[in-house]
Amino acid sequence: MLHCQPLPDPRGPFLQFDSFDEAYVERLRTGDFRTQEHFGSYFSKLIHVKLRSRLQSREAVEDVRQETFVRFYAALRDGKILHPERLGSFVNSVCNNVLLEHYRASARQTPLDEDDDQNQIPALDMNLLDVLTAKEMAKKVREILEEMPERDRRLLREIFLEERDKDQVCHDFGVDREYLRVLLHRAKQSFKALYLKNNDAPEFNTA
Amino acid sequence: MDHEAVVRQKMTERYLLNELDSEIRDEFEEHYFDCTDCADDVKAGALFVEQSKIELAADLKPAAVTRPVMVPTPPKAGWLAALHSIFRPAIAAPVMLLLFAVIGYQNLVTYPHLQQALSTPQVLPWASVNVGTYGSEAPAVVIKQGQSFLLFVRIPPEGTYTSYTAELRNPAGRSEGSFAIPVTAEQKAAGQDQWPIQISGANRTPGSYTLSVRGLTAAGDSKEVGQASFELQILK
Repeated sequence: MLHCQPLPDPRGPFLQFDSFDEAYVERLRTGDFRTQEHFGSYFSKLIHVKLRSRLQSREAVEDVRQETFVRFYAALRDGKILHPERLGSFVNSVCNNVLLEHYRASARQTPLDEDDDQNQIPALDMNLLDVLTAKEMAKKVREILEEMPERDRRLLREIFLEERDKDQVCHDFGVDREYLRVLLHRAKQSFKALYLKNNDAPEFNTA
Repeated sequence: MDHEAVVRQKMTERYLLNELDSEIRDEFEEHYFDCTDCADDVKAGALFVEQSKIELAADLKPAAVTRPVMVPTPPKAGWLAALHSIFRPAIAAPVMLLLFAVIGYQNLVTYPHLQQALSTPQVLPWASVNVGTYGSEAPAVVIKQGQSFLLFVRIPPEGTYTSYTAELRNPAGRSEGSFAIPVTAEQKAAGQDQWPIQISGANRTPGSYTLSVRGLTAAGDSKEVGQASFELQILK
């Protein structure tokens, strides 16, 4: 359901999104700017998360993302969105097809041991508001990490930053994999409230 | 995928920690693309992980900067004077001699040995793996540091596939690249079910590697065929 609420927002009527439905797809089809903006932002972030462990360069991620949107809008024009409530699944399957074609096209040129130092999520263009929001979220992450015991911080550093084998790290710290999941779960939950408040914010600049 | 089970099993955390095998990962992605609650969870978690990397890296930098280092006081002379001193015959002549000696050694000894090694047939370490065979033990392949090895990958013959794609994952579960395995009409007619794949040993870590294989039909549909694992051991 997509609601228009007359809230005093300088960018125009405020849209509140709950789930995908026929009205949402119809707005997309008729070229409603707000709905297209929401669609692009919502699925760009999901596609980036999905592709970050599968593709080795930011250019490849961007190519697959853009091609996914091109094919989605072509399917929308051709009336191929038969189940609006499963719009997300449709986008995911289009992305999977584009990804497979990308693999096939690049497989012969990509050696197995290619360096993957560049697998960073591309930064999106940011305006001043986005920059302030990103800074606020970076501050929150810093606070969450600072509140952790030193051991937990070191544990995350070895997993995320040094990318050591997780079983080995857990063994070294005398914890099990479930401890790691709970640690990440709690940190994510602390961060999520701020994230949801700034739901339209851009990705962090990880470059 | 059931939302309650997703929450109960901490699928988001497993996904962000790259703990899911490719089949479950695909199912979870299909779920969170449709489920706004899980999508928010995944996006917030991914942002937290990315930003944590930056913050944790920043933690390390001040320590490196503040560590006391004994640095000799540089001479007051300018860079031009320093450059000029390097080209004095007393320094330049021995450096040139050393350079000629290195070039001579490479041309007379190193390169002929390398050429000989390249043109001589070699027996590479190898292992044979079966894709999609449940319960089979992961074979071990023992290599020297940096040495390439062969994988004989047996894929159950399936008439509908025109090619396969395979993805190699390291012991930490990270993708180390994917590659295509084309199937020609002759190979299909001959019933070929085994494919030799050479894998570079450069920058490999020892441990259990996984090869995930997907079959592709002429219509462009793909389906997971199965996985195979092998244990890479590296001699010191």
